[in-house]
Amino acid sequence: MWTRTINGRELHFYVAGINNQNFLMRDKETGTWWQQITGKAIYGPLRGAALELVLSDELTFGEWRSESPAGQVLAPVAKYTKEYDSNWEPDVAKLPVVISFPWTELKSRDVVVGLTINGTARAYPWETFAKQSPILDRVSGTPLLLVLGPDGKSFRVFLSRIDGRETEFFLQDDSKSDTPAGKKDWSLLDTTTASQWNFQGCATSGPAQGKCLARIPALKDYWFDWRNYHPDTTVYRR
Amino acid sequence: MNTSLPSTPQRQQRTSRWISTAFSLCALTAIALFFIPAFIIRPFHYQAPRALLIAMALRQRAPLGTLIAALACFAFALALWETAGRWRRSILVLTLLVVTFSAVMARLNYFEWMFHPIAGPQFLAQSDSKLDAKEMIMAVRLGTDARAYPISQMAYHHVLNDVVGGVPIAVTY
Repeated sequence: MWTRTINGRELHFYVAGINNQNFLMRDKETGTWWQQITGKAIYGPLRGAALELVLSDELTFGEWRSESPAGQVLAPVAKYTKEYDSNWEPDVAKLPVVISFPWTELKSRDVVVGLTINGTARAYPWETFAKQSPILDRVSGTPLLLVLGPDGKSFRVFLSRIDGRETEFFLQDDSKSDTPAGKKDWSLLDTTTASQWNFQGCATSGPAQGKCLARIPALKDYWFDWRNYHPDTTVYRR
Repeated sequence: MNTSLPSTPQRQQRTSRWISTAFSLCALTAIALFFIPAFIIRPFHYQAPRALLIAMALRQRAPLGTLIAALACFAFALALWETAGRWRRSILVLTLLVVTFSAVMARLNYFEWMFHPIAGPQFLAQSDSKLDAKEMIMAVRLGTDARAYPISQMAYHHVLNDVVGGVPIAVTY
């Protein structure tokens, strides 16, 4: 997601093409071409400009509801409801791949969580992430915390620091349970203050109560797409 | 003094050939301006950076370029019409049809026929939504506004211009 304002000017975007599985957009105001995945203008009067990233999450509707009970959800447009595919995940996975990297360790349609820190890119294979969450890692010297939500589908990435001090996090014991009670009591514990933290990255009890961890933007993507736009990406292995 | 000029029919033939060439070039230009970018930017086909640049450069110039080329084509076709036989006239008409098609398509965005934009996004309270709890959404929180965009919908529309918490954003998938 991107802000639509460049140099104080509000732009309106529309789909203008497909580029290697991502789409190209143009703005009505200048006709400049922008890359959806990078937010960068690649051709036209505003070439070289970059849109500012808006932090967003990929969550289940249920998880989002519990976090933002007053939030609004985009209404489906009546005449296009037959185009909406609620089964999109397996259906998209069947589509042909435009580019592949057979010499790499992951398969084209493997799902990864991708992020970049100071220009360094890393991909976390979803299967590995789901099994090992929470994951503590370091990219470009920055300590990270990757967390899978209590619903097993939502995810977030945080800066693993409390008040600038590096900390480790662990899943609290009963959070691992598959029972509804376990999911409800889901929380993380940090090793510095022994406070409890929720999936939004905020401390709900303990000395750090009320504090929230800084968020890191991350993208859930197919390996071939991530690797195509981040040729120097490393892959998380444990 | 050499007074031999080419006889009238020969001169006519030579002029006709020049006009035919001009016609062909204009037709090729009009057709290329639309079809080359359309060919390069097609779904499920890899686009190298150089090819993409060419496609965008052509597409940018296409609306005006195809119009000028098409008008020229029609003018040349008119000049050729009188002396053209039935076979030639059929070719002229066919070519003009394709040229017109290019000129029209160069001004339309057929990607929006495949992926219709959302004209005026409407939002529902959670209690009014029919979404299943397990469906994936993209969530944004700006200011006091919290909004969710179902991926099943954004995977079709691809881009939505919205304003959340007073901030104009582009929701993309």
